[in-house]
Amino acid sequence: MQTLALVVLAVLTAGYLVLAGADIGMGMLLPVLGRDGRERRLVIAAFAPFFLANEVWLVAVAGVVAGAFPGLEHALLSGLFPVFVALVAGWVVRDAGLWLRGRVDAAAWRAVCDGAIVAGSWALALSWGAVLGTVLVGGSRVEDGVNAGTVLGLPLALVFAAHGAGFARWRLASGLAERARRVPGRYWVSGAALAALPVAAGARLPWSQVVSSPEALAVTAVMCVLMVPLLAAAQALVWWTFRGRAESPGYL
Amino acid sequence: MDDPLMLARVQFALTAGTHFLFVALTLGLATLVALTQTRATLSGSAVAERMTRFWGQLYVINYAVGIVTGLVMEFQFGLNWSGMSRVVGEVIGAPLAMETVVAFFVESTFLGLWIFGWDRLNRWVHLGLIWVVAATAYFSAYFILVANGFLQRPVGFTMVDGQARLTDLGALLTNPTALLAFGHVVFGGLLTAGFFMAAVSGYHLFRRTAEADLFRRSMRTGLVAVVVSVMPVAAFGGMQYAYIQPTKHPGAQESAAQVAQFEARFGPGDYTPPGLATAGEVLMEVAWSLMFFLAFAMLVKLPFGRWLERGRVFHVLMMAALPLPYVAMISGWVFREVGRQPWMVYGVLKTEDALSDVGAGAVAVSFTVFTVLFAALVVVNVWLLARFARRGPEAVRLGAPGAPEPERPALTPTF
Repeated sequence: MQTLALVVLAVLTAGYLVLAGADIGMGMLLPVLGRDGRERRLVIAAFAPFFLANEVWLVAVAGVVAGAFPGLEHALLSGLFPVFVALVAGWVVRDAGLWLRGRVDAAAWRAVCDGAIVAGSWALALSWGAVLGTVLVGGSRVEDGVNAGTVLGLPLALVFAAHGAGFARWRLASGLAERARRVPGRYWVSGAALAALPVAAGARLPWSQVVSSPEALAVTAVMCVLMVPLLAAAQALVWWTFRGRAESPGYL
Repeated sequence: MDDPLMLARVQFALTAGTHFLFVALTLGLATLVALTQTRATLSGSAVAERMTRFWGQLYVINYAVGIVTGLVMEFQFGLNWSGMSRVVGEVIGAPLAMETVVAFFVESTFLGLWIFGWDRLNRWVHLGLIWVVAATAYFSAYFILVANGFLQRPVGFTMVDGQARLTDLGALLTNPTALLAFGHVVFGGLLTAGFFMAAVSGYHLFRRTAEADLFRRSMRTGLVAVVVSVMPVAAFGGMQYAYIQPTKHPGAQESAAQVAQFEARFGPGDYTPPGLATAGEVLMEVAWSLMFFLAFAMLVKLPFGRWLERGRVFHVLMMAALPLPYVAMISGWVFREVGRQPWMVYGVLKTEDALSDVGAGAVAVSFTVFTVLFAALVVVNVWLLARFARRGPEAVRLGAPGAPEPERPALTPTF
């Protein structure tokens, strides 16, 4: 059961980083990909239909950790308290910028929201890089807090940006996609890196010390195994629905 | 405010309270939007279609606050309240895992499809999406109330070495404090959405804007929602008194007996909740009574459709009544949660023992960061809700993509 729960957790975490990594990366590159307000709205239209369906993978990760490995939540979140505050705050700021940008028709308003999207996306990528780096280096000593691996945050954040550029090549309107090609990045290469990272970091964690009792573990694991194909199908429906390039502005 | 326990409690109260106020409207409005879209899809009526987009737009603005406060709340458990995950983590972890994987994941994914796929998807598929969103929102509320119900009345577990072990999932999922609270919240959400629709419609009818037909229909929908839910919400609320914690009403005979028992088991201490809890109870009952009288007036008005368009006193009354469901919601919630103190899990884990050992400075930083963020977000979103509600259906962008952008007429690639 523990192995099953670990596989589910690995799939969800890798899924989050690969899928949401693309919209976070595009948010980081927003000023590069879109030079004026109208272009930036097109860039946002290219990834906005995905961000809700992407970030829920992280919510599911948090749920599975709470259900199957409650001890980890404590170790990870208390040990890396400042990093996680930055992560969650960046997430809120980025999402608020996305939701609010199109609501008021004023250049200053859009400038503030664009700033929130870019700053929030960078904060998210840097904190994810810091979390993954700290766990990679610290392993089971993650409860002690930041270590040498935390500085891996910066290079890992650049992987997010490259991933966003790779996604932008497919999604952006034809003219803007040219601009994305100038940023080095291949979706599958950066995607493979983002999928491998949590697995490598996770291999260093003391799972059997944080696992819940067999009864509670079974509940979470069985439910997840039943649900994950459905969740993947919902994600596939999103990709199929928004498969073309975003040539015109969208809702946000 | 250098007491980390108080800071962490106030932070959770602000996050959860904000979340709850916005989510209550989300729950009810999703249902009313789904019903309106069903009518629009079945009959092909243009006004019903515009109603769907207008109320859908307000629903989406409101949803944004609910989702970000919800995200932060989930992380706050681990950040500030690690003692909870250490002692009862696996018991409340089960419903929380179900909430994220079974309910919220589907809700958010399908909401994204509904918003951004408006003109891309077959209209029956699109209608199906909003119903899935509404249904999973209720699932979500149920699982969260299972976790909360456990805090109120812990069942289905045994303590092993100071840790709660889940022994009976069925008892956890059918805990009366979860099921009855769920019924209470379902009708509370409908009541909130009903008053919200009536207030916005009342504004437009009072101002005699161009949309008399649309807002007369909306007013009727809102009034029906209120009339249908005002009694069940009280019934589900009242039934919960059968399972209430004895100490919730200090001074009662049961309370003294329970305090004596707690003192025998856990040593001397203050086992009665702050007076704020009783104040919440009274305020909730006052707000409900006012809503009940208004529902009477609505019942008289409902059969006469045209009368809803005139009756300017009634329009003003509906606008003035908008805070009532919110006051009832938040004070009822204060009664439930503050009345549980000093316990996090009643009779199992004290709130003070659940606090993380991260230090006062860290708690203060997280408190400041998120309180400032949420205050800004709430102010902006309330202002936006009022603004889009006032502007009426003409200003709606939901379902009408590619609205003209004033900055520059067309995209001209520069390379």
